[in-house]
Amino acid sequence: MLLNYLRPVLYFIPLAVVQLVIVPLISIAEIAPNVILIMIVFYTLKYGQIYGMITGFVLGFALDLISGGLAGAFMFSFTVSVFIAGYFYNENKIEINTASSFYLVILFIAAAINAFLYSAVANTNSDVGILYLAVEDGILPGLYTTALGLPVVIFNTRKGIE
Amino acid sequence: MLKFISRIINQFKEYFLLTILIIISLTVLSSNEKPQIKKLRTFALGSFAVVNQVVNSAASIFEADESAEQLRRENAELMMQVNRLRKSGYVNQELRSMLSYKDTSSYPLVYADVVSKLVNKIQGNFIINRGSKDGIKIGMPAVNDKGIIGVIADVTEDFSVVRTLYNSSLNIAVTVQSINIDGILSWNGNELIIKNIPTTYNVRVGDRVETSDFSSILPPHIPVGVVSKRETISLGLLHTISIKPFADISAVDNLFIIKSLPSKQVNQLEMNLMR
Repeated sequence: MLLNYLRPVLYFIPLAVVQLVIVPLISIAEIAPNVILIMIVFYTLKYGQIYGMITGFVLGFALDLISGGLAGAFMFSFTVSVFIAGYFYNENKIEINTASSFYLVILFIAAAINAFLYSAVANTNSDVGILYLAVEDGILPGLYTTALGLPVVIFNTRKGIE
Repeated sequence: MLKFISRIINQFKEYFLLTILIIISLTVLSSNEKPQIKKLRTFALGSFAVVNQVVNSAASIFEADESAEQLRRENAELMMQVNRLRKSGYVNQELRSMLSYKDTSSYPLVYADVVSKLVNKIQGNFIINRGSKDGIKIGMPAVNDKGIIGVIADVTEDFSVVRTLYNSSLNIAVTVQSINIDGILSWNGNELIIKNIPTTYNVRVGDRVETSDFSSILPPHIPVGVVSKRETISLGLLHTISIKPFADISAVDNLFIIKSLPSKQVNQLEMNLMR
């Protein structure tokens, strides 16, 4: 069980480097994917909602600290978005949930909520509308994150075939 | 009774856990300025930025040689001088304005590489490879050869966080150069705007915007951008003007920190704009 919690922490370090160094290079008009969330959602669908929430909470805090952003913002957005993703956890359907297009649907929902919540709590400008936040800073990063989640599905599908 | 409570807790444990985690998150969010959180952030930032720097330098192995830094420095210094000369063209008839004019080009520049970026529509942040060891302090402006990029928001020994103009928490005092009207520049998630400019001032698309004399955080006359749009609001009494920054902030890989020392007294008041 402890190893289950350790694994995402170990993967977090290279993924955080990718998020902060490589992702800015592939961002389009300040819309960037969240590669750490791809991993957290994957493990949530594998090990359950409570596991996902604790992982999201811890890794969110770590990302807040190392990114120079607002402490607590990723912590909050990861926890809530992974809680929602955790609703789709079913121990009898782990394979289907993580190795099919269903994973991408869940990832999109979680990523869009995460991006929206992050911007909502980090925003201090009253001119920014909720609708704008939901679309430009929710759905679009959600779609981008989903696109990057595609290799996870392909890899897991192949692993299942083998 | 205890059995009932434990059954309820067991049945709704996910919700209880979610509530606890959200409360902790919001508590951390509200204690961002507390010394304990700042200390923790400084430690984490300093430690992890080393890893980012290694990866970043590996990624930029094919980039330009050392002479590029020298050229960029000269470019940034010339940019300051050009802007100073342009400004004096507007105000040359008034000796009074000449006396109040500060020489921004006299500030030393510190070259820095961007180590990592937090890309977000609301919270634009860079981490750079210069820190308190290089004399960097909170509130110093970050510029490149085109204009201002942001302001130093956090400093560790070797690294600093630059809050860019694309950050809703950063508001800076600016002047529309041709008509000398001051305003507060802020990021609304989509564009840089200056609100509540009276329509009696003839702001035109293409007018240059620079940092204001009133700013105690930033030295005056650093180029910011040009007016790209003018919108009339409040029954035609006020304008909201959109600014297109000179610097391509998203594409910045290296920059300069102007080692200006803000006035301590006014600074205390104005730093509130950054929170």
